[in-house]
Parts: sequence; C-alpha cells; structure tokens
Amino acid sequence: MALDKITLQILANHTRAAAENMAYTLYRTAHSTFVKETEDFTIQILDAQGRTCAVPADLGATWYAGLDFGKAIPMIPDYEPGDIGFTNDPYSGFLATHTPDLVIWKPIFHDGEIICYCSGHIHNTDMGGAVPASLSRALTEVHQEGIRFRPSKLYRKGVLNQELLDVMMTNVRKPELNIGDLKAFVGAMNTGERKVREMIAKFGAATLKQGLSDLLDYAEHQAREILRSIPDGEYFFADYADEDGPDGFPARLAVTLRIQGDSAVLDFTGSDPQLTSSLNVPTGGNPHHTLMLVGVYYVLYSLNPNLLLNYGLVRAFHCILPEGSMVNPQFPAAVGMRSLSCARLRSLLIGAFGLAMPERMPAAPAGSSSIVNVMTHDDSTGEAVIAAVNPVVGGAGGMPHGDGTDGSGADAAYLKNTPIEITEAEVPIRFRAYGLASGTGGAGRWRGGLATRMEFEVFTPHTRITARNRDRCRFQAWGILGGKAGKPSTMSLNPGRADARLLNNIDTFTANPGDVIRIVSPGGGGRGDPLLREPERVLQDVICGYVLPEAARDDYGVVLDGERIDLAATEALRAERRAPAALPHFHFGEARDAYERIWTAEAYGALTRILAGLPIHWRFFVKHKLMRAITAEGGGAAAVDAAYVALLDSLPHMRRQVSAE
Amino acid sequence: MGHRVGVDIGGTFMDFCLWDDEREEMHSLKVLTTPDRPGAELLKGLSLLQERYGVAPESITSFVHGTTVGINTVIQRKGAKLALLTTAEFEDVIELARLRMPEAYSLFSRRGAPLVPRDRIFGVGGRVLANGEIEAPLDEASVLAAVEKARAKGVEGIVIAFLNAYRNPAQEEAAAAIVARAAPELFVFRSSEVWPVIREYERTTTALINGYVHPKIRDYLDRLIETLRGQGVTVEPLITKSNGGVMSAALGRRNCVGMVLSGTASGVMGAAWVAREAGECQVITLDIGGTSADIALVVDGQPQFGVGEKIGDLPLYIPSVAVSSIGDGGGSIAWVDGYGVLKVGPESAGSTPGPACYGRGGTRPTITDAFAVCGFLGQHDLAYGAFRPDVALARQAIATLAEPLGLGLEQAAEAIIRIALSGMFVEVNKTVARYGVDPRDFSLLTFGGAGPMLGCFLGRELGMRRMLIPARPGVVSALGGLVADVKNDFIRTLFADAVPEASETLAAEAEALLARGEDWLRNDQKFAGEARPGWFADMRYRGQSFEIEVPLDDADVRAGDMALIAEAFHRAHEGIYAFCDRDSVAQIVNLRLVMSGAAQKPFLRPLPPADAAPPTAERNLRVFFDDAWQEVPLYARASLRAGHRFAGPCVVAQDDTTACIPPGFAASVDRMGNILLEAAE
Repeated sequence: MALDKITLQILANHTRAAAENMAYTLYRTAHSTFVKETEDFTIQILDAQGRTCAVPADLGATWYAGLDFGKAIPMIPDYEPGDIGFTNDPYSGFLATHTPDLVIWKPIFHDGEIICYCSGHIHNTDMGGAVPASLSRALTEVHQEGIRFRPSKLYRKGVLNQELLDVMMTNVRKPELNIGDLKAFVGAMNTGERKVREMIAKFGAATLKQGLSDLLDYAEHQAREILRSIPDGEYFFADYADEDGPDGFPARLAVTLRIQGDSAVLDFTGSDPQLTSSLNVPTGGNPHHTLMLVGVYYVLYSLNPNLLLNYGLVRAFHCILPEGSMVNPQFPAAVGMRSLSCARLRSLLIGAFGLAMPERMPAAPAGSSSIVNVMTHDDSTGEAVIAAVNPVVGGAGGMPHGDGTDGSGADAAYLKNTPIEITEAEVPIRFRAYGLASGTGGAGRWRGGLATRMEFEVFTPHTRITARNRDRCRFQAWGILGGKAGKPSTMSLNPGRADARLLNNIDTFTANPGDVIRIVSPGGGGRGDPLLREPERVLQDVICGYVLPEAARDDYGVVLDGERIDLAATEALRAERRAPAALPHFHFGEARDAYERIWTAEAYGALTRILAGLPIHWRFFVKHKLMRAITAEGGGAAAVDAAYVALLDSLPHMRRQVSAE
Repeated sequence: MGHRVGVDIGGTFMDFCLWDDEREEMHSLKVLTTPDRPGAELLKGLSLLQERYGVAPESITSFVHGTTVGINTVIQRKGAKLALLTTAEFEDVIELARLRMPEAYSLFSRRGAPLVPRDRIFGVGGRVLANGEIEAPLDEASVLAAVEKARAKGVEGIVIAFLNAYRNPAQEEAAAAIVARAAPELFVFRSSEVWPVIREYERTTTALINGYVHPKIRDYLDRLIETLRGQGVTVEPLITKSNGGVMSAALGRRNCVGMVLSGTASGVMGAAWVAREAGECQVITLDIGGTSADIALVVDGQPQFGVGEKIGDLPLYIPSVAVSSIGDGGGSIAWVDGYGVLKVGPESAGSTPGPACYGRGGTRPTITDAFAVCGFLGQHDLAYGAFRPDVALARQAIATLAEPLGLGLEQAAEAIIRIALSGMFVEVNKTVARYGVDPRDFSLLTFGGAGPMLGCFLGRELGMRRMLIPARPGVVSALGGLVADVKNDFIRTLFADAVPEASETLAAEAEALLARGEDWLRNDQKFAGEARPGWFADMRYRGQSFEIEVPLDDADVRAGDMALIAEAFHRAHEGIYAFCDRDSVAQIVNLRLVMSGAAQKPFLRPLPPADAAPPTAERNLRVFFDDAWQEVPLYARASLRAGHRFAGPCVVAQDDTTACIPPGFAASVDRMGNILLEAAE
C-alpha cells in the first residue's frame, strides 16, 4: 500500500539527504580537476530494481537524474553484502555512456534482501586508448576509446578486486588520478550505505522499499501534471551539428514530439544514421534512456522548481530510437564525443517543447561549451605541462520574461571556469582577453545571452591545444517568436595577422611561440520581436557594449543620438519595419536557411528513407556520397533519388551488397 | 572594574548583553528597532541599562557592537555608486564570475545583479604578469579618461582591481594615486589592499563589496561614536567582525568588508564560549530566527573558518566564521502541492507580516503557527513581554491546510512540524557532510528566537544525544562580542614550492606579514596585551587544482622550515583524503597570518543551587504531539536553579524564547543556567 503523503515527503527529504551526503563526501575527498572543478560526476540512490530514486540538487552534473541500472546490474549474477559493482563499457547494459565515465553501485542488504543501491559516476581524466583523455571525434570504434570493463565486482564482500584494478591502472595514462578519485568514490558509497541504514532504522525496511517506489510515482505524477498543461499535438523539430566528423557534413538530429494528455512520445526517426566518428549516442534503443531525456529534465524543472528528480519522470515519456542511427548506434561504433551530440539533443527538445508551448519556453541556449586543454612545456623547468584552461561557454536563450544570461547559463549552468590568475601561474601561456563578446546575443524582445571570448598567447614550440565539443560555428543558436539567432562560434589562430588561420570546429592543433588563439563561443538565441524591446534597454545594452551601436538601428529599430534615444525617429523607423504578417516561429540564421534550401524537408525525407533501407555499415558512406552530390537548391526528393541511382550505377558491387541484405 | 556591554542588532530587536565585572553577573535586554530613527534604540537601551542595572555611561569599560548595516546594504542593493577599473580586455570579470549558476537544472537560472553595472566598468592599459613582472606599463591616460567617465556618471568611489595585482600591487597603487589627484572627492579601494589573494573574481568581488558598503558603514559608525560620546561613554567602541574577532570602530570605517557578517559570526563565537564554559567541545550550533537558520560547527571548542560564505547572492572571500544559512525559520510557510503533498517553505512570512499568530496581518500558516496550534506557544508572553501569540489566529491559518490534507487541525499542525524538520534535516546533513563529520558525535546548541522551539526536535531527528539550551538564547550574538578577541587577517600569495631553496623567501614573507600584523595590533588597535600570531597556509600538490588549509607552527614559519611545513601538509592531506604522497612536491599558494590579542573573558557567578532535584512547574499544559493531546509541565526559566532535574516532554518559557523538550530526554540545569538535555538509553 502506498505511503501516506506526509511520510512520503519526509522520506523524500531523507533520501535526498542521503544523496547529498554522498555527493559532498565525494566532492570533499576527490582528487581530479574533473570532479573538483568541472563537477563531472553524479550520485544516485536506486531502488532494488536499479532505478534512480533520488539525486543531489547542489552538486554534480545534470544528466543522470533518470538513469536506469536495470540492465547492467543483473549482468553480475549474484550479490553479497560488501560487494561493489562497476562498469565503464558503453555497450554492456547501456549504463556508462562513454569510456571515461566509471559507474559504480553498491547493493544495500537488510535481512538478506537487497533494499536499494547507492550509486554514481565519475569522469576519469583518462581511460587509455588512442588519444590522451580517451576522447576525440576522429575515433571510429569504441575499442580506440580505452580499456572497457563490463559490469564486474570492484569489491567482493568488502575486499578490493586488486587484479582488476591493476589491469585498469596498467592501461590508463594518469593512474594516480584514477586511484585518488576511485577511493573518494568508494568512500561516498560507504557514506551512502550508512545513511540508508539510518533510514532503515527510522522508517523500517518495508516502508523504505515502498517509499522508494512511491517517490517514482510522485515524480511521474509531477511530470504528467506538466504534460497535461501542454496542448496535445504533434511537434516536429530538427537541429544540426555542424559536422559529423573531421571535415564532415552536417549531422541532423530530428524529433517528433507527440503529446497526448499526460504522456509524450519522442520519435527520433529522421535523425542521421550512426557515424564513423565518435559523436554517436549509445542508448541500446532503451525508450527511457536518460541521455535522450536530459532536455526533458530541464524543461520540466524549469516549469516546476519543486520537481522531484528521479526515474519516475521518464515514465511519462517514450522514445523511439531507430537502430543504426546516431541515437542508437550498433556496436562497436565510437561514442566518446557523445557530449557534442547531447548538446544538440537538448536544444532539439527545448525547440520541440517551444513549439508546443511557445509562451513558456526560452530560445536556444548557445549550445556549445568548448573544453580547452593545453599540452606544452614549461621553459623554466623543462617539465611537460598538461592543463585544462577554461571551458568557453555561451549565454542562455532569451527567456519568457527576461534576457538570456550572458556568458553562461541554461543547460551549461553547471560548468565552472578556472581563474585566469591560477592558469597563468601554472601554465606558460598569457591571456590577452577573457570576457563577453559584444553583439553576439540574438536580438529579441528578450535578448539572447552573449558569447564569451577568450584569447591567449603561447610561448613554447609544439604546444598542443585541444578544444572538445566544438560546434555551432556554422549553424547558430536559433531565436523564436521573432527573436533572432545568436552569432555563431569561431576559433582562430592569430586573428588580424598575416598568418591568421580560421580553425572553427577543428578540435586539435599545434601552436608555436607568438601564436595567439582566440575562441568565441556561440551566443544565445533571442526571443520575441526585437522591435518590441524597450528603447531604454537597447540604449543600456549599447552603453554597456552588449549590443553594437549599428545593431540598435538595424536589429532593434532604435535610433540613437549618442547616449540619447531619438524617440520620434525610433517610432517612425519601427512603424516602417513592422512586419505585415506574423513572424515565423524560428529564426535560424543564414547558414541553416541556405542549407535547408538545398536539403528541404522533402529532400531530407528521401535521404532518411534511402539510408534506413541500407545495411548499417553502408549508411555513413552513402550519406556522404549523396551530400557531396547534391549541391543545388530546389532538387527536392527527386534529386536525392536520382543521385542515389547514379551512385548505385557507379558502384555495381554496392548494388549487389545492398540488395543481398 | 566596570561594565562591559555587547550590543547586536537584528531585524526586529536590538539585543543588549551586560557583563558586570564587579558583581560577576550577566544581564540582557531587548529593544525594538526603530528603522525610521536610527540610533534611538541605542539610546533607549543605554537608559534601560542605567535604570535597571545602574550602568553609568562612564563605568562602561568595553562597548562591543555587531551591526547588520553591511549585509543589509548588500542584500537590498542600497550601497555606493561605484566605478570599477580593470585590466583592459578583462572588464567582465564580475559578470562572468565563476560561470556556474545557482540552479543547475533550470533553464531560467540567473545570478544576482553585479554590484557595478557594465557601463561603470572601465578597462585600462597595463599588464602585470603572474610572476609580478610588468609586461606593459600602466596607461595613465586611460586611467584619467576612465576617471572622467566615472565622474560624469556620478560615482561616489572607485575600486581598482587589476590582473595579478596580488603579486605586484604597483600598477594598482599608481592608478589609485592618479584617481586621488584627479578626483580627490572620490574614495578609492584597491584589490591588493583589501584582500590580496590570487583569483581575480574573488579578489575583485571582495574589494567591490568593501567599496559598496563603505559610505553606509562609515556614516553609521560615525553616528555610533558620536551617540556614545554624547551619552558620556568614554571608551572607544569595538566592532565585531566576520572573522569572529573585533576591531576598533575607527578602523571599521575603511575595513568594511571585514564586518559584513559580524552578526552571524559573533553568534557562533558566543555559542562556542557558552559551550566551552559548559564543558561541551564538539558542538553544532543552530541559530533559528524568523526567516532563516544558521548552522555552524565547533570542533575542539573552536569555531570553523572558511572562505566563500554567502552574503545574499554574493560570495565573500575573506576568512569568516563558517556558517551555513538555510531558508527555514519560524516564519516558513506551509502549503500543499498538486499531488496532495504537504510542503514547508521556501516562502517565508518573515518578520512582516510574520506568522499568523503574531497578529500582524499574516494569514498563511507557518511553522510557528503549527507550534501554537499544538499548544507549545501562546502560553506565555514573548520578547520580554512585548506580545503573546494568538492561538486562535494560528488555528484559522492551519485550518486552510487541514481540510485539503484530510487531517484534523492538530494532526495537520504536527505534520507541518515533521515536514519542516525533515527539510532542515537535509540541510544540516549537507553542512556537516562538507566537514566529513557525523552529527551524532556532536552536541547541539540551539539559540535565537525560534532555536529552542525547533532545535530539540531537530536534534532528535539527527540522532543527536546531547543538546544545550543556553541561559539567554536570545542574546548569544551580543554575548559573542563580549568574548571575542581583537583580531585581523593578513595574506600573501606565494605560489612557491615547499622546498629548501624557497626557505628564505618564506621567512622574509612571514616577517613582512608579522610586521604588518604587529603594526595593526599595537598602533592601529592600541592593544597592549599579549600578541598571538596564528599561521595558516593554503597548500596543495603541484598541479592539483584546489588547496587545503594547513595550520602551521609559528617557529616553523619564522624559520622558513620547508621540510616541517611540507610534512604538516602531507598530514593534513592524509586527514582529509586518507592518503598523501610524500614523493610529490607540495606547494604553498597563500600564507596567512591571523593576528589576535586575547580579550578578558567574563567570569560568571554560579546560579544559586536548587533545594530539590525537580523544579516546580508553573502549571500543566495540554500539548499535541505523537498524534495525541498530552499533559506536560510548563516551567518558568527564571525559576530554574543549578542542579534542577526534570524530563521531557515539557515546555520551558522565558522572556526571549520558548523551549520545547521532546520525550525521551532528561534535562538538567548547570551552574551557569544552561539546560543540558541527554537522550535516555
């Protein structure tokens, strides 16, 4: 029988307290920058079926509130008290989502029965493989992404499985960091067990078990309550990553959101086939997979800040994930840089929900957070230096009742930077600029948040720079309801000099003494008609340098005379500009508009149909062939079909292979 | 011999704590604040002290004041109009902050507005490198241009914060000199003088807060000094500080950021003193007022210190008594969500309109109303006779929830209490988890207006077995000022490896810090007693991205003994992380000196002993808990004597608070009048 609602709320608080305790223990005792500064870790309390019942709200990343351990846990056949299970294999139970993420869980026994699990994940700096830090979009199969462990026992009856740990440490580049974090992590599990035992003492095991199940029902109810407040209907949206690999073509992610009453289907049919790069998102086709629903957590929490964060939320949603697509890749597709695609998945869902309830949703957040690392030598000591420089993050999208936050926010709100002074004291580079980038937020009734701009100079030969998650250099963060798209991101070497080089989405390169690297993140999209923005706000933005003086007139129709508004001229200009018809819901910017004039919905439909009919290992190849072939506007589906026929004609071998399938 | 007076101001009352040296007695009183006539409450308090306890102004030998002017100025954003000068191309240091937003899961999360808007932030040319070298000279023309623009915007003062100024303040000093010449009417603060610590956002913010609150604090302290002189108080007033110490009011006029958290800090200092006197050394202190609860840890009799404490939505990066504030107080409002689940907070009725039972226009049910409905409140006057809670109004408010919950009135009230406690349980747990301790190893000391009402129940929820209710729970902060030492912090960022080669550098830096500390203590503070230098280093292994605070031995620091300093770090690291790495190089990021001069601590004459073990109850009360009405005794605190023993459930009423003692606890009164509760086995 369900618990009474009073006990339920008390139990909800105690369960969250247990999760928060674990998170603080981990944070306090962990060793690596990933845990300490970036907070790339999560903590959960699971029920006996392995479903997340509670997560901490203050610390850690936001991705795994609805994580389901249900497939991975039974891959270890039997558990005993004192056991701790772990895995980092993205293809064993679809729990870990790339190899650096080590997921562990500890069953909590009472009277011989598992009552619940304490669990979590940490991002290890390196798990071995082809490249330092194990991640590069250029990798093509998971085997290159480091050593993998299927679900195994890290501890047996409280005793460390030293052999397994030795295997891990032999294969990774920074064993001391991994060991330090792992110790902290196990400490957090033991804290969790202690807290759970206190709850068993307080509530009784039966009440606790029932309560964990009721907490899922409670969250599910909250999710459904929100869904009921959204109009029924079918909402299609697509968003693109700039490149599907080095020198690639755009990668499209598409969703049809079907809301009916208090439940929703998210049909990802129309998303690109799995890639021969590491941007794939490993889900195993699980219709409730957490990576597909991170955008949903944001939408729900933004609408109800009292939301309980647990697996119950995902029950109201059902994802359709076509096999062999980017969102359900087949082994052994590489998945290391799924974080780039996940950023697109979040903007995809924010966009789809925005169609369903435009009055309650923001425009697109900047959507690309470059994680910048420098590998160089310190000339004063001769030692090699590897350091994480700042993440370069952009602003939030314009909100229903306010501007997007500048420089960070929305789905990147959990990232932290490293002080310039700390980096300069430790790494032989000098910063030339770090601040907001003028004029980068999408114009709107509520302006999109500004991008950040970071510039630094290097002084040592062969300095290796990596910038992961580079995207949105081509396709911009979209505006809605008349708001304009934010400015695209750029990355360049020696801007303004004769030896200038535009790098944009290139994510790893070498710099030499005197070279200056400039990274400008994307800006957030604007929301609502910019002609409706109060002229005073526009003037203030100009004075602050947030909006360029020429944009006041061009984008906002505000005529300025120094620091004074010419109201009459502004009125006249705005009257003249006012659109005669309703503005389209989205403003994508010129790059996407141009691309979609070639790849119209119809043409893309033909492409998706052709690719879906092919064996999986042919799809990426054919996609590239067709993308290369189609360059003219207006061809539609016929042109795609024709190009495919031409491709088959040119490759008779392929025709036999494909039809034999 | 004379009178020492501690005065602390809160939202509703100004609290006075009097320590009479001669009679070895302590007294307290409260005066309603008069926001429209600042200073009037002080006059009233002084005259009441004279009237009731014969305190002549000239007999006051020590006057210590804690004020909320600083924190209120920040929270209400009513501070000075400032301009900020930064290194060019780094103008957005305060807007970007450390990027992370307060709520990670909300697409709408945002930080509070910076203290200076972007149009009053001016980048100026010049560049200091991380090693202190000047890469580009200060562009004096750009400084002058910025000063002109700032003046045109009507600023009152200028804050200067350049990159790497912690290492070399020369360009900040040069720019300050230019401002002083070009605009002598403006006040100027430099980041390298306010708190010269590495990390540009943290240092800039600290300097900005200092400038932002400066005019208000300066004017307030001037008025205070004047008022006291006008009354014939001859002693120079002292001001309590965020670091738990005190300084002269004259110094406080410029060292403003040091007193921003003075009220909360002196509460913890007072609580720690009470606990030590009662023989309790491992204590969690819990100060519950109307809108929030402050939690702090006392380990081995000492409050804990930290940086990054919050004032409103801004972090404060100077060493402060570590206090976690949670948004639950007696005024937290109860409500029911769409799933029929009862919630308490985060909304609060605050002090206006306050709980429904206060009869000041509040109608929504609060935690305090729940206690009134359950019979714990409304039996006795509160706030030294200022008013008595109205139970009928509380019942009306709770009735609005009882119906949707399908519960009886009292059941609903008890449910509110239980939910509120479980919410506070989460927050207290988080706080203690940050220190890696188990609350069950600690005693709980509750104070503040709502502390003893909620605190004992919360302690029980946390599994704590010992609790202490001080004799005067309402004036612990005012008491804290009386027991605080004269104290200031000095910092130097070294970024040096703890290796023998750096030994001389360390010794020289330590000597320089010590000279500044002694100058402050002897010349600025005119302190004649024993100087007590305390040393701390923020240390890490080279390449680690965070530091831990390591207390260091005075002799080791003065001698620059790197081997012993490194060893102290390895041990501290092992204490936190359960391992250390003696093969790795330890690095000293900051060296900190805490210079203090000990205050004379009060000595209290014990309470007269009780003539019988159980005290006489004033009468019996009917209170509702554990789902039933029960008869429990009501004791008057004033009638309790040393050695009295009684047991929960019961209620103890006094002028400034009502203590609710749950069943299962044995109470005893110690010789100082504290009530000690111990869980029955």
